[in-house]
Amino acid sequence: MIPMSNENLSIHDTGALFQIAEPEEKRARERRPGFGIGIDLGTTHSLVALAAKGSAPRILPDAEGRALLPSVVSYVDEAPVIGHAAMDAREEHPAEVISSVKRFMGRGLADVDFHHPYHLADDGEGGVLRIDVSVGVGAAAGRARRVTPVEVSAEILRELRTRAEAELGGPVDGAVITVPAYFDDAQRQATRDAGRIAGLNVYRLLAEPTAAALAYGLDRGGQGLFAIYDLGGGTFDISVLRLRGGVFQVLATGGDSALGGDDFDRALAQHLLDLAAIAEPTRHQRESARIAARAAKEALSCDAVTHVRAEALGLADAEVRRETLDELIAPLIQRTVRACRGALKDAGIRARELDGVVLVGGSTRVPAVRAAVEKAFGRPPLTDIDPDKVVAYGAAIQADILSGAEREGVTLLDVVPLSLGLETMGGIVEKIIPRNATIPIAARQVFTNYSEQQTGMQIHVVQGERELASDCRSLARFELRGIPRLPPSMARVEVTFQLDADALLTVTARELMTGVKQSVEVKPTYGLSEDEVDQLVMDSYDHASEDYAARGLAEARVELGRVALAVRTALAEVGHLEAVLPASERAAVEAALADADAAMSDAAAEAERIVQVRKALERVSEPFARRRMERALLAGMEGRSLHDIENVLAAEEGELEERRGGHTAALIEE
Amino acid sequence: MTEAATSAEPDFFAVFGVERTYAIDRDALEDRYLELSAAAHPDRFAGASAGERRRAVERASAINEAYRTLRDPVRRAEYLVKLGGVDLDRTDPERGAPDPGQGFLIEMIELRESLEEAQAAGEEAVDELREEIEARAEAALDAGVDAITAGDVRGAAQRLVVHRYLQRFLDEADGERGG
Repeated sequence: MIPMSNENLSIHDTGALFQIAEPEEKRARERRPGFGIGIDLGTTHSLVALAAKGSAPRILPDAEGRALLPSVVSYVDEAPVIGHAAMDAREEHPAEVISSVKRFMGRGLADVDFHHPYHLADDGEGGVLRIDVSVGVGAAAGRARRVTPVEVSAEILRELRTRAEAELGGPVDGAVITVPAYFDDAQRQATRDAGRIAGLNVYRLLAEPTAAALAYGLDRGGQGLFAIYDLGGGTFDISVLRLRGGVFQVLATGGDSALGGDDFDRALAQHLLDLAAIAEPTRHQRESARIAARAAKEALSCDAVTHVRAEALGLADAEVRRETLDELIAPLIQRTVRACRGALKDAGIRARELDGVVLVGGSTRVPAVRAAVEKAFGRPPLTDIDPDKVVAYGAAIQADILSGAEREGVTLLDVVPLSLGLETMGGIVEKIIPRNATIPIAARQVFTNYSEQQTGMQIHVVQGERELASDCRSLARFELRGIPRLPPSMARVEVTFQLDADALLTVTARELMTGVKQSVEVKPTYGLSEDEVDQLVMDSYDHASEDYAARGLAEARVELGRVALAVRTALAEVGHLEAVLPASERAAVEAALADADAAMSDAAAEAERIVQVRKALERVSEPFARRRMERALLAGMEGRSLHDIENVLAAEEGELEERRGGHTAALIEE
Repeated sequence: MTEAATSAEPDFFAVFGVERTYAIDRDALEDRYLELSAAAHPDRFAGASAGERRRAVERASAINEAYRTLRDPVRRAEYLVKLGGVDLDRTDPERGAPDPGQGFLIEMIELRESLEEAQAAGEEAVDELREEIEARAEAALDAGVDAITAGDVRGAAQRLVVHRYLQRFLDEADGERGG
């Protein structure tokens, strides 16, 4: 934070300008109500929705009127292609067209234990995963390109941002991006980074089931106990919520961040390969089988029988019955049912106490899934809001609230899905924040030295429910340094682990004996470092131009503030003298000042308008300023040397510079 | 190597504005929690300065931590003992968890052996053993609460340590069943 003391700003003026500028100085972030968007960043498709200023949420479609954007990015050409067009290239270039990238978010190479057609690599030390997308056409064209899952997601988000900006007719103020409730810290951090790289101010990461509950709950008066069963393309969540008095309290959440409709497709694809008697399929055949399987699965949601034709597999007219699909996916559905039982147990709720079970996610269209949910909860599930859109609706409502729009207040109390712990002696995990703890939440641990020689300490933060650190997700490692040389157990370093409302972790440390803050450098295990994200942000042309626009706006506001202040000061000093300022001219100056005030207090005012207002003010006040200057000079010459006058002017200029400096820093920092 | 923090923490009872006693009105606590949370949630401060937003996160964290401790009968009892000067998460003999005694530790080892035998014998045998230990754990907790109410912190700590051992045993018995 740049310190913003008001003392050096209030030199010899009436304070008028600072009354206008004050709200801005205290608020590091200026919001534009109605310009917040909700994004459902899904495994198979993504959506953007808007619920501006209290209105009902609606999906923003593309130019062709399509609501769903396939979460597919093609790197076949120099410039990435996103969505439907990318999908068309998928079968031909399986290794260069990335789909279901959400499965790779926040993951390391060793975590990828499922089939995929990509060429993966990491940094050599098990760090950030990269996908080599210049293996076919790219390599032939002499390109070498490796992309991280974060960058691929950023492409999808950027596309949605563009869609929203076309609708809003201007820049988006911020976005709520949904994540599976069961996403761990690394996956959430990766999603937030993708948002930043896409040039979005990420207000919040919101759990998908919580977003769905928000969309449903508002429709139903917001009371009761609900279970949200959310089966998407690649992730499964179950959340149990209590709605009461405008508070959405998540009691427990559970799931599997690597289980979804994609797995149904894969199971059916394997069946098709078996039918075609292909024991060792090529990448191309596997991708063809997957695409054919997905189409068959969708057909079987309505029909009892479907016929598959896949030339690449040599299948002309293979019959697939719904029972066959049901049988193939039964073990997968069983996994979701087990997670449901676990979540109910964690919430301390019995199935029959629930007021409703809500189905979310495209994969809940599969009849076998609906039947299993109905059986597990003993009641037919609710499906009145389109399961593909309900998450985006909820995100849009929350985005509207966070953009500062007047909307009936709701509070979302979410939980951290997986316990957070530290590795201790022998690789055992000591839990410091248990799963299903309501966030934000902090935990403090005091570490002591074991010898006088010890001045540093390695700390390994993990997330998960298992006893051994090696079985949990490694989140970060850091070293505590600068522990004072004290006898064993005398040095006491208190480390605070803070989970914010997005369930993202920050670590701070301080030595209790001396009160000295310790340096903590957290190296995310699978994420991009802060520097890398910054670099990607800088690389992004879109963002650079937006950044430039933001700076232009900030500078324009500072400049207008400076001119308005000068005019006000002059008015206060000599405005009463008819000779210097005739009444008619005074009225014009005051009108221009009023315009300036209006422009300054309008958060949505663009740089251009502010510059115009400033020019108008300068124009009408120019004769007055000139006469005043002449008066000052005349008055000065009577008793003072030119040298003195110059000194006074220089001092004033210095003060002005100082003020401008303070303003500029404060504004650009937002 | 690690121990619970002893630095100036806010009194959880004070956070909720309730009396510092074991007996607590659950419904009133829930209502108060929702009320406090709605007012303090960081989303309420989305447009505020970075400093204010940070303070909101800290305030909401304190409310959530207090709620988690107070609504749970075991944590609430352990917390009262901690406020009385005995921290069950610490190991030093003066202010940390009291030693449960050699005899009890030997008994725990024997219990583990009986659990293995029960697991070999089948589900029913495990359930029987589980029920027995559950009753003992509850009795230990009740005795601990009685000691707190009588103002006997040391005695309460003794019982709550026993409760912890028994509870861990139950968790492990459940864990191995894949519960």
